[in-house]
Amino acid sequence: MAGPFVLDRVSILDRLGGDEEIYSMMVDMFLDDVDANSVALANAFASGKAAELQREAHTVKGLLATFSDDDGAAEAQEVEKKAKAGELDRLDDAVGNLQRRLHEVANALRAG
Amino acid sequence: MHTVLIIDDSEINLTLIKALVLKLGECSPVLFDNPLKALEWCRENEPDLVIVDYMMPEMDGLRFISAFRALHGRDEIPVLMITANDQKDIRYEALLGGANDFLTKPIDRVEFSVRARNMLSLRTGQKFLADRAKHLEKLVDERTSDIREREKELIFRMSRAAEFRDPETGAHIQRMANYSQIIARGLDLGPTTEKLILEAAPMHDVGKIGIPDYILLKPGKLTLEEFEVMKGHARLGYELLKDSGSEILCAGAEVALSHHEKFDGSGYPQGLKGSQIPLFGRIVAVADVFDALTSERPYKRAWSLDDACSFLEEGRGKHFDPMCVEAFLAGWEDVLEVRQRFRDEEIPQI
Repeated sequence: MAGPFVLDRVSILDRLGGDEEIYSMMVDMFLDDVDANSVALANAFASGKAAELQREAHTVKGLLATFSDDDGAAEAQEVEKKAKAGELDRLDDAVGNLQRRLHEVANALRAG
Repeated sequence: MHTVLIIDDSEINLTLIKALVLKLGECSPVLFDNPLKALEWCRENEPDLVIVDYMMPEMDGLRFISAFRALHGRDEIPVLMITANDQKDIRYEALLGGANDFLTKPIDRVEFSVRARNMLSLRTGQKFLADRAKHLEKLVDERTSDIREREKELIFRMSRAAEFRDPETGAHIQRMANYSQIIARGLDLGPTTEKLILEAAPMHDVGKIGIPDYILLKPGKLTLEEFEVMKGHARLGYELLKDSGSEILCAGAEVALSHHEKFDGSGYPQGLKGSQIPLFGRIVAVADVFDALTSERPYKRAWSLDDACSFLEEGRGKHFDPMCVEAFLAGWEDVLEVRQRFRDEEIPQI
C-alpha cells in the first residue's frame, strides 16, 4: 500500500524545465480526464481482458509518474505486470487502490 | 521548419510532447492518437522526426517503427520511441528495430530537448548531404551536357569540312542525318539509338578529306582507277574515327566504313552482305542515296520524289535492306518535313 500522496510541485516543474504554462496545462488535462481514466481502469478489470487491463494500468502509471507519484506509479506497474502475465485473480484491491490514488492525486492538484 | 510527427494514444502525453516540441522552435508538430492513421499520413508526407509511444492499442511502437521504415524513403528519418522506465527490453528491441533513440516516461524536458535536438541535427545533416549530392549530380549533368554539345558541334564542323570539298551541301548532311533518324524510329530502335544515329550519320563521308581534289572535284565520269581511289573514302573515314572513347565517333566510324555496302554483297569496301552489314550502315545507305537522288547538283538535276521512291523500292534486297526502305517510306510525312526544314539554299544552322 502506497503512502499518502504529497504534491512535489518543485520536482514536477523541474522536470518540465520550470515551465509553469506546461505544468498548468498538464494539471488541467489530468483533472479533466481523471474520472474517465478511473472508469476505464475499472471497466478493463471487469471485462476480464488482461491486455486491456495491462494497457489501462500502463496509462495510469504514466499519469501518476508525470506528477512525480513514484509510489502510485509503482502500484500501477504491479497491476500492469500481473495483467501482462494474465494473473487477474486477486487484483480487485489493487485496481481499487489505483482508482483511489488517481482521485487522491487529483485532489492534491486541485488544492495546488 | 522541421515537421515533427507525434504518435501517442494518450491525449495528455500528446499535449505535453506538442508543447515541448513547440518550445524547441522552428518545429511544426503533427499529432496522431492512432498509429494506423499516422502511418497513412506518412505515405504522403515526410516528417523530419518521429516521436512514437510504445504502448498503444491498435499497433505498438515497435510495429509502427517497422512499418514506417518499410515505407519508401523513410529508412533514415530519425525516430524517438517513448517507453516507461521499466521497459529496458523494449528499449533494446526498439533500437534494434529501427528507433534512433528513446525517451522515458515521465518525460523530462531537458532530456527531451537534448534528444530531440540531436535527432533534428541528424536530419538537417542528412538533408544537407542529400541536397549537396543532388546539386553535384545536376552540376555533372550540366557539364556533361556542355561537353556533349561541344562534341556534337565539332563533329558537325568536321563533317562540313569534308562536305566543303564536295559539291554536296551542309543541308545534305542535316537531311540525311534526319532521314537516318526517321528510319531508326521506324525500326523501333528507341530514343537513345535514334539520337546516336542522328549525331553519327553526318560523318559518313568524312573520309573524303583524304581524296585528292582532281578526283573529288572532277566534273566528268571517274575512270576505274579514280573510282577505286574514291572508294577509299569509306576506309579513310573509318581510320579517322575508329578507336575513339566517344560513342558518337565510334558509331561514326561504323557508318563511314559501311554506308556503301549493299545488301546483296555487291558494295564496298568489304563486300558485306545482309545482316553482316552493320545496321547503322544499312540505315545510312538508304538515307544518303535518297537525299543524293532528290538533290540538285552541278552535274545533275534533282530526281522527282516518286522516281527516288521507286529507286528505293527497286533496290530492296539488292542495294538496300528491305526493312530500312520500309521504315523510311513509313515515315514519309516526316521525310517531307525534313526536306522542307533543311533546304539547300538556306545556310544550315550550326
